[in-house]
Amino acid sequence: MDDKEISEKVRMCTAQALGLDVEEVVPDAILFDDLGAESLDLLDIVFRLEKTFGIQIPRGGIQSSVLASEDVKEEDLVKDGILTPLGIERLRKEMPEINPDRIPEGFRAEDAATLFTVQTFVNLTKRHLAAKEGKGT
Amino acid sequence: MTGIGIDITEVKRIQEISLRHKEFLTRVYTPREIEFCARKRNKYQHLAARFAAKESVLKALGTGWSGRIDWTDVEVVNDRWGRPAVNTHGRVKEIVKERRIKKILISLSHCQEYAVAFAQIVR
Repeated sequence: MDDKEISEKVRMCTAQALGLDVEEVVPDAILFDDLGAESLDLLDIVFRLEKTFGIQIPRGGIQSSVLASEDVKEEDLVKDGILTPLGIERLRKEMPEINPDRIPEGFRAEDAATLFTVQTFVNLTKRHLAAKEGKGT
Repeated sequence: MTGIGIDITEVKRIQEISLRHKEFLTRVYTPREIEFCARKRNKYQHLAARFAAKESVLKALGTGWSGRIDWTDVEVVNDRWGRPAVNTHGRVKEIVKERRIKKILISLSHCQEYAVAFAQIVR
């Protein structure tokens, strides 16, 4: 499956979950702010992606690659619920589809879901498909 | 440091997603929660309240970013008087221990359309 096909299917899943026209679900649309999604909608999208692509996405899987690294401890990335400078650097690097200005100093870890764009789910799906095919992430 | 968290969940949305995706119940709720809600006439209200509870507890803990937390790590149980209480499992249980949290208080309320939960961390 090529990148274009993955992107189109992710947009379709997102549109169906949110009850929107697929034309509205552009890659840089922010799920919460632009498309009116709620946290339960993210679960709906995730379940649809799992069925469509035959993958399994754990809760928090969207950001888990940031924390999956063995060279850094979770407490070095988040302290008292707030991202450390290293955490900000990691998140910006792992989520290049997000405008870095949206991850400022003092950003709260619990607000990470408010960053997600349609492209975040496209990238997530690609990572899981690559892992499934044994290519690694 | 303590923490608080609140969440509101639409009952109809819980009903829709649980009917549309069979895996929703087992991925989000513990067997005990599923059994408790299944016995209720208004089971979707109880499921919605428990979903709101999980969200509110995770907000109170400020752990939205962690990739290692499962929905089932936060479980709502009822004591002998029917009052809700929070049990923790997995990564959330570890966080509770690491932060020396004594207790997580939870309050739930629901009607036909919405369920709300409020959580407070006690140290």
